[in-house]
Amino acid sequence: MDNEKRPLRIALTKGRLEKDTVGLLEKIGYDCSAVRDKGRKLILPVGDTIEVVLAKAADVITYVEHGVCDMGVVGKDTIMEMSGKFFELADLGFGRCKFALAGKKGVDFYQGYGVKTIATKYPNVSRTFFEKKGMDVDIVKIEGSVELAPLLNLSDAIVDIVETGTTLKENGLEVFETIAPISARLIVNTVSLKLRQREIESLIKLIEENL
Amino acid sequence: MNRYDLITPEGTSDLLFEDCAMRRSLEEKLSGIFKSKGYCEIVTPGLEFFDVFNLNSRYFPQESMYKLSDNKGRLLVVRPDSTMPIARVAATRLRDARLPLRLYYRQNVYRNKPVMRGRSDEIHQMGIELIGSDSKRADLEVISSAIEVLASFENEDFRFELGDIGFFRELVNKLDADTAAKEEIRSLIEVKNYPALNDLLDSIGDNEITNALKQLPRLFGGEEVFDKAAELYDDEKIRGVISELRVLYNSLIEMGYGGKITIDLGIVNKLDYYTGVVMKGYLQGYGDAVLSGGRYNKLLAEFGYDVPATGFAVNVDAAAKVMKQSHTYSAPVPDVIVYGADSFVMEAIKYANGLRGNGLIVENSVFDSYGRTKEYAAEKGIAKAVCVGKEILTENIIGEGGQNG
Repeated sequence: MDNEKRPLRIALTKGRLEKDTVGLLEKIGYDCSAVRDKGRKLILPVGDTIEVVLAKAADVITYVEHGVCDMGVVGKDTIMEMSGKFFELADLGFGRCKFALAGKKGVDFYQGYGVKTIATKYPNVSRTFFEKKGMDVDIVKIEGSVELAPLLNLSDAIVDIVETGTTLKENGLEVFETIAPISARLIVNTVSLKLRQREIESLIKLIEENL
Repeated sequence: MNRYDLITPEGTSDLLFEDCAMRRSLEEKLSGIFKSKGYCEIVTPGLEFFDVFNLNSRYFPQESMYKLSDNKGRLLVVRPDSTMPIARVAATRLRDARLPLRLYYRQNVYRNKPVMRGRSDEIHQMGIELIGSDSKRADLEVISSAIEVLASFENEDFRFELGDIGFFRELVNKLDADTAAKEEIRSLIEVKNYPALNDLLDSIGDNEITNALKQLPRLFGGEEVFDKAAELYDDEKIRGVISELRVLYNSLIEMGYGGKITIDLGIVNKLDYYTGVVMKGYLQGYGDAVLSGGRYNKLLAEFGYDVPATGFAVNVDAAAKVMKQSHTYSAPVPDVIVYGADSFVMEAIKYANGLRGNGLIVENSVFDSYGRTKEYAAEKGIAKAVCVGKEILTENIIGEGGQNG
């Protein structure tokens, strides 16, 4: 059957998560030289049994959801923003940061009854967060440095990923509230897990032992 | 100028020739299976009142339904599912019918999905509902029909998965936690989010129940799952659930489906809908389940008719998509084209009808010359042309170097 022949396909989020995952796979004992010298190639073999696909974070979810990739490594931030149908089997521990509500230092965000404006790259995460609080907010989608929005008085606060908080501090901003912790997750297509259970489970076991 | 007059709405598409032929042939195959087991076809309206899908338990989130209003301002939905309308029919017009009812359907359902995610909003489904029996025999009948359907797709690598929502229900009922936490646990088990589930259960406590729940999403695979499940927690009800599932599993193995049947006790979606055995079917080459169903003993009671029921639905287009990878289907090409010379048109139509009587597919030529007719036939790959005039002349079109395309 041809599914036994096709290598297990793993989509990796390009950039830091890719490097950390490759490090992990090498620790387990896979030969990742093809990924290390990838040039412009987007699909790369790792040993005989795995194939790595390099993609943008949101696309990792799309490929896994459709089953064209069996597994994926993607940040919890993207999972929270995109949602979707897949299994989230392991927390890989790297790529740690958090979602936070932040704004100008010393401002009491919750004060007053006016509708607040939130600038963010993550409108769904922001909406869900304020929905749970029963708060109506105006959400403005920003593509680049979200920190600008409160400085330019476009918004009362931002919802963004905070790693060390240095950018916030240097711009006179501070974290008001932590929304959720973030780290890299191993996601698996719901059908692949069932059709290729043995391969996937043994790989996950190796990964968990080497974290 | 209209901006949208040349395209179809997102999530929909036109189905042409081969794809149509493929869908119809699958439909015929499945209706054959269903009819041979005594199921009768039922067609429900494409539009239903919103209330039908807005029962006490909200099985469908309102944002996933296409809504419109009728001329009295009442809220309607474009049917997002066939089981609930069928439950409505069973509870009303079929209320006095002798049970069990065996019903099958083939119709579209519509679900408003996030755009650009590459899945259809319009899903062509076929399925059966066996209403009015809570017996294990009914479960076995529906399950074996589902497997027969999967096997009929000629995809060597199909997998049929069996679970029982009762296992999770019994465990979580014993758990000392509020409804919100229980729902969170359910959703984490559904997505098999092992780490978050562990954290949440650790915060609730370290006991037999939380430990069993932690293992629940990992309880999938072959026969060994039953023993693992039995070790996790032991009480009468759970033992009952496991032993009944094992009996079902063994019956399926006896029927010759070994290697195709797996167990997953972590199927916990639609918890308020399903009440017992749940099933899913997978085909290699499609990233989501193509078949799903289970026992839903409480749904009809919501329509005021308290009878048990079980059934499943198949995503016919998903199955067609997978089959297309290994089978070629082509729309039928006519065997013959018949041209009638001037003043022989009626003769030609009669002659064509005669050929059709022999089982051939025959086109009547609409061209005004025999030459154009032959040209057209060559291009379309029609094997024979007939010219009806004072005499009847039959020519082979293909094989004379006429075919191009």
